[in-house]
Amino acid sequence: MTRRADYGQYHFMLMKMNLQKLLTPETVVLDLEATDKEGIIAELVDILVRAGRISAAAREEVLRSVMERERKMSTGIEHGVAIPHGKSDAVPELVAALGVKREGLDFDALDGQPSRIFILAVSPADRSGPHIQFLAEISRLLSEPGMQQKILDARSVEEIISLF
Amino acid sequence: MTNSPGRWRVGFLTTAFLAATVCFFASAGTVQAAGEPAHTSRIMTELALQLALIMIGARLGGFVFNRFLRGPGVLGELIAGMIIGPYALGGIAIPGWGPVFPLSGGPLPVSTELYGIAMLASIILLFLSGLETDLATFMRYSLVGLAVGAGGIVFSFIGGAACAVYFGLADSFLHPAALFLGTIATATSVGLTARILSEKRRLGSPEGVTILAAAVLDDVLGIVVLAVVVGMVRAERSGGTPAWSQIAVLGVRAILFWVVFMAVGILLAGRLTRVLKRLHSMNTIAAICLGLALLLAGLSEMAGLAMIIGAYIMGLSLSRTDIAYELQDQLRGIYSFLIPVFFCVMGMLVDFHAVGKVLAFGFIFALVAVLAKVIGCGLPAWLMKFNLRGALRVGVGMVPRAEVCLIVAGIGLSTGAVGQDVFGVAVMLSMISTMVAPPVLLRVFENGSGVRGSERMKKEEVRSVVIELPSAEVAEFLFSRMAQAFRNEEFFVHRLHTDIPTYQIRKEDMAFTLIQEGSHITLNMPARYQHIARFIVLEELLSIQDLLDSVRRMKSPDSLGAELLSGVFDR
Repeated sequence: MTRRADYGQYHFMLMKMNLQKLLTPETVVLDLEATDKEGIIAELVDILVRAGRISAAAREEVLRSVMERERKMSTGIEHGVAIPHGKSDAVPELVAALGVKREGLDFDALDGQPSRIFILAVSPADRSGPHIQFLAEISRLLSEPGMQQKILDARSVEEIISLF
Repeated sequence: MTNSPGRWRVGFLTTAFLAATVCFFASAGTVQAAGEPAHTSRIMTELALQLALIMIGARLGGFVFNRFLRGPGVLGELIAGMIIGPYALGGIAIPGWGPVFPLSGGPLPVSTELYGIAMLASIILLFLSGLETDLATFMRYSLVGLAVGAGGIVFSFIGGAACAVYFGLADSFLHPAALFLGTIATATSVGLTARILSEKRRLGSPEGVTILAAAVLDDVLGIVVLAVVVGMVRAERSGGTPAWSQIAVLGVRAILFWVVFMAVGILLAGRLTRVLKRLHSMNTIAAICLGLALLLAGLSEMAGLAMIIGAYIMGLSLSRTDIAYELQDQLRGIYSFLIPVFFCVMGMLVDFHAVGKVLAFGFIFALVAVLAKVIGCGLPAWLMKFNLRGALRVGVGMVPRAEVCLIVAGIGLSTGAVGQDVFGVAVMLSMISTMVAPPVLLRVFENGSGVRGSERMKKEEVRSVVIELPSAEVAEFLFSRMAQAFRNEEFFVHRLHTDIPTYQIRKEDMAFTLIQEGSHITLNMPARYQHIARFIVLEELLSIQDLLDSVRRMKSPDSLGAELLSGVFDR
């Protein structure tokens, strides 16, 4: 039985390490400015460009892939969380950004509620594994009791990062 | 008239085959007379002929039993062995060659080579049963399983040994015959029960899971008992009766071997499979794992235990890794060829003359062994959380004895610790218990719950998502797409051989099931890992959009059909 626990922990530690590598002060913002869905996604992509995670030349291609995925089905899930994501060969490896908009905005969420926490993830088209793992892990963490409130209450970027 | 060339060909081939066989046997005698170098060739020829007869005979026996007598095929294989074995048809001399199954001079009536192949089969069998064990379930039901397994072991060991003493086959409980008959009586083969319950969809019931958990413990304890008994018999043969202190040492050594190798196995299995997976060939991985099982089998024999113990430990260690199902699949081929050989060879070991003398004893022994399991396993079950109906189900589920009982008896026979009579009794027990258990099991599982009103089995929280699709065809198509999506995410996906299409999906500690019933697809997942399963299925569903787009771009079926047919009448 101990092995089950060890495995879980090991898996979790592995993911935790990845999350902290992905979410750094440069890729997390406290106050998103955009007022609509497309604007929010573009703002998050620009954060990745500024942080040097994706090249300026790849901006349009990344934006297109995320919007295409968004057209199939909204990534605004429930309880104010949205995870826009896409796959594109314009990125060499999985990149992610996190943004908060406290007043919330309409992201066509499944429950019709305004979305407040946005996590963008983009990974190479041919690669399986990290992409889904990241989506699963981030939504698992965000479904933990009190986690969303802690992110919304955070006063600094570092405070948010310390939660992961 | 049209098939006459075919008939000619068959007729010609048959004649040629018969002629070749006659020439072969006629020349065989001369070759053998030529001198020593022909010895190995003679042994190998004999082995090939024996295996040929066994392969065909065992399969036909199993088929006849299954098809016409509606009994377990295993019995047919055993009986086929008895019929073609050295004590029956196989003992009849063929002119120019001699008997196909000559009686060997040693404690075993068959050749060492043939027995070696049967042993190899038993190693694979135990490796597979270790692999198939659900360690997590076992742990969850370990308390009641422990009580049920231990109860069954104690009752049947004492019952079996007491029978031997009472009927004069042994003069004391420490006599090899008493020890072996006790051990033979303990060895439950849960495979038959598991198969019946899974067909009836009751394997996941509290009774089913308790039986499985108890069976693991029964195997472990039974194997420890076997190790101690083998050690005691060896000690006795090298001089005098073993002292209780020696027995204690043997017990401790057996348990130590078990604990140490089990701990090392479980600790290293995950790492080992991660390294092996880099080979990217399931064939190679399976071969290496089987090699390791054989290695451990050899080590356990060197440590004075039985070979099957090592194989079982290796299987159990790998059972919780994500390659367990793939390994089972890979090994199933060799298993399905060798296991009938095993049962057939076991049937061959039965000396009718010796069994005839203990026939009455055999019946009484089998009756005692069956009742000992029903009472020994049912009583703790009833005391802990089941009502009388549930306790009876658990007890009956633990009744079947097949391969382990025969392996134990075979070990006794090969070491000379027991004679043909005791071996015959073991075969009788395995036949009677496998014939009696299935119908009774079906009957006792007919009505309502077997769990006491207030008791509810604790289970890990499981979430289910049902996806409704427009038709069964669409569901079937998406079902296999989803399985592929899990494969792409490096999950090990295993299609279960059940009436309702089901995939079992595993990766490290995660385990999901995907079930298709008509136009519904159900995804079951533990709450802890629901996110990853949900995302994989969701993304796959969305990717169908791309597929639909490309279908729209496809030419109309009319024009595709026209292209397909155009030029069909061109000359």
